[in-house]
Amino acid sequence: MNPEFQRNLWLEASPRRVAWAAVTLILIYGATALLARDAGGGPLPALAGVGGFVFLICGVIWGSRAAGTAVLAEIADRTWDFQRLSALTPWAMTWGKLLGSASLAWLCALTGVVLMAGLMVVQGQPGALWMPAFLISLALLLQAVSLGAALIGVRKARAEGRVARPGGVMGGLILGLFLLSVVAGSSGFQKGAGLAGIPAFLYARGDVTWWGQVFPAVGFRTLATLAFAGWALTGAWRLMRLELQMKNAPVVWPAFLIFLAVFLGGFAYAGGGLAAALLVGALAVALAAYAGAFAEPADRVRLRQFAGALGKGDLARALPLTPAAIAPFLLALILVAAAFGIGGAGSAFDQGPDPAQAAALLAFILRDLGVIALFRFGPRPQRGDFGAVVALALLYAVGGIVGGVISPGTGQALFVPLSIAPWASLASGLAQAVVAWALAWRRIKAPEVR
Amino acid sequence: MTAMIEVREVVYDYPSARALHGVSFDVQAGAVLALVGPNGAGKSTLMRCIAALDVPTEGTIAVAGLDVEADPRGVHATIGYLPDFFGLYDELSVRRALTYAARSRGVSVADTPAAVEAAAARVQLSDRLEARAGELSRGLKQRLAIAQTIVHRPRVLLLDEPAAGLDPEARRSLSDLILSLSREGMTIVVSSHILAELEDYSTQMLMIRDGAVAGGGVLAAGGGHRDGSRVEVVFAEPPPDLGDRLVALGVTVERLEGDAATLVLADGEDDSALLAQLIGAGLKVRAFQATRKTLEDAYLAEVAR
Repeated sequence: MNPEFQRNLWLEASPRRVAWAAVTLILIYGATALLARDAGGGPLPALAGVGGFVFLICGVIWGSRAAGTAVLAEIADRTWDFQRLSALTPWAMTWGKLLGSASLAWLCALTGVVLMAGLMVVQGQPGALWMPAFLISLALLLQAVSLGAALIGVRKARAEGRVARPGGVMGGLILGLFLLSVVAGSSGFQKGAGLAGIPAFLYARGDVTWWGQVFPAVGFRTLATLAFAGWALTGAWRLMRLELQMKNAPVVWPAFLIFLAVFLGGFAYAGGGLAAALLVGALAVALAAYAGAFAEPADRVRLRQFAGALGKGDLARALPLTPAAIAPFLLALILVAAAFGIGGAGSAFDQGPDPAQAAALLAFILRDLGVIALFRFGPRPQRGDFGAVVALALLYAVGGIVGGVISPGTGQALFVPLSIAPWASLASGLAQAVVAWALAWRRIKAPEVR
Repeated sequence: MTAMIEVREVVYDYPSARALHGVSFDVQAGAVLALVGPNGAGKSTLMRCIAALDVPTEGTIAVAGLDVEADPRGVHATIGYLPDFFGLYDELSVRRALTYAARSRGVSVADTPAAVEAAAARVQLSDRLEARAGELSRGLKQRLAIAQTIVHRPRVLLLDEPAAGLDPEARRSLSDLILSLSREGMTIVVSSHILAELEDYSTQMLMIRDGAVAGGGVLAAGGGHRDGSRVEVVFAEPPPDLGDRLVALGVTVERLEGDAATLVLADGEDDSALLAQLIGAGLKVRAFQATRKTLEDAYLAEVAR
């Protein structure tokens, strides 16, 4: 047996803990059955409802927390270095922690899934097996994301000379997802992106049209969630490799970005054709550049080594050191250029954003990445993330107001990528990007204090 | 003799400061190297780099011929490392903690029980195998941590302040264990502030100060090594003109206090010739021994520079 899985089983699923969990579940389900014994359809619907709740609490919340703290507790207990020195492979360490730390949570959660599936089978509901499969995939996805976020937090904290804490990591993850959703909902992403199929996907209602093909939403959602869970698991494994001091060639991250572009682009295809699909894919991938910029440790030594190796043409040394924001940004550029090629520069699509606006958006993203680097590589890297978020918020909010006062429309477009004057936004964004990166590079190059 | 650890021009940068400034040295196979220096000198950082837990900003480190950057996992499999602030799985029994340590370090399922018993025996924990790690005293926890570090019989052992918090008896046990492991051919690097204790088992010493090698590099150590060509002499019934008579004999007197003197051998002269010269001059010699320089002497001399 995988020693890491076994150790987690010893700690998490000891006979005493399993016995207590069993007693608790028997009490919960027993009380439910007792209360619902006189209900019209019998107690099974109520039991299935409670089972769903148990799954949510145990599989999603408890399991995700357990997966995240599987690494963070090692840091707090000062056992992480001991683990990093083990002979376990990164994959064995990843799945041993993921399934082992959440083993008791899974035992409890599966009782809920069984009850839900039982009800659906008894009632002959269509897609009776899709729902449990979706729930299990969702829990696996969230647990893997949680483990990955913890590993990111550990690397960031180490580079910033502090200790990663569960609250900070989970808070950062939630805040990061929130901010990404805000940016995704901003003007650049709103203009008829042709993503009408996404709600059907999220809520598994009716059919989903993806790359022109129609799929039953319930099955599509399950398979897509399973695919994302696979990517999250792969991401956690890649991060574990880095923790074990191994090097990652930049292969998996670009592959995921391509998957993301293809996945989201598929929803826009039906409405706007290939050009719209490419642009939606580009915008989604560009958002990943923000995630990559914040997720990586603020390690200017590593960045200097990357620049040095690249300057010498030593790709073997440079590639594993490639900053995570580069791949999504380059891929977004390629996708935008492809959209230009298909749709023609400056043309407006029937549906979907204008390529010129998309290019302006990329220029601002380049500027934003420079601003993020400027703050994260500052003298107090532990405050870099917060400083970068505040700076970006001020640039967009105050800049937009100032631009609006100067000249509504065009003036605003100098500070915010707007469809009303995309070429002005593009020129302004590029100029600001040059300034931001020049300042950031000065900080990156600054010598260490001796 | 081959070098088991080769450190070359290692620089290590933290976000706000440089911790190591071009450190270079070798540790021979089978040596016990005492790594000494004041707090914040960079000893722990250096140990973490040797353990392939942190990557040097510049320079190279090879352990058993394996480059820490090119083959960190190979280095991990070769070494055992006990950090200064270690943790244990408090809820696991000693047996399970050692079983996990052995299995996670590549010991086969079949060999694990024997490895666990052997490691526990080496640190006198055989009678505590079923006790919870969290219930052990500070000293016993330290023993368990060391047992976890050596359960897979690594070729190189790195111990960062292993004696911190141990009582005198436990320190003696630790010294005995290190000597025993050294005799079996293990290469050991130990950092400690308790220099007198390092004296018991160290064969070499390296001083680190302000992130750089001080004192000229790796020095010989071990029960106090001879301090150049000095000899400590105690005279019985010393004559009042002892100093003049010694000078007249052509002996260099470095120190003369009452009946004790520190003499310096002339180039090419050996101890026995000097002793014969003193006795031949009618001086009554009560004690005669080469001056020994302890780790503490060497360290304090360097600190005073």
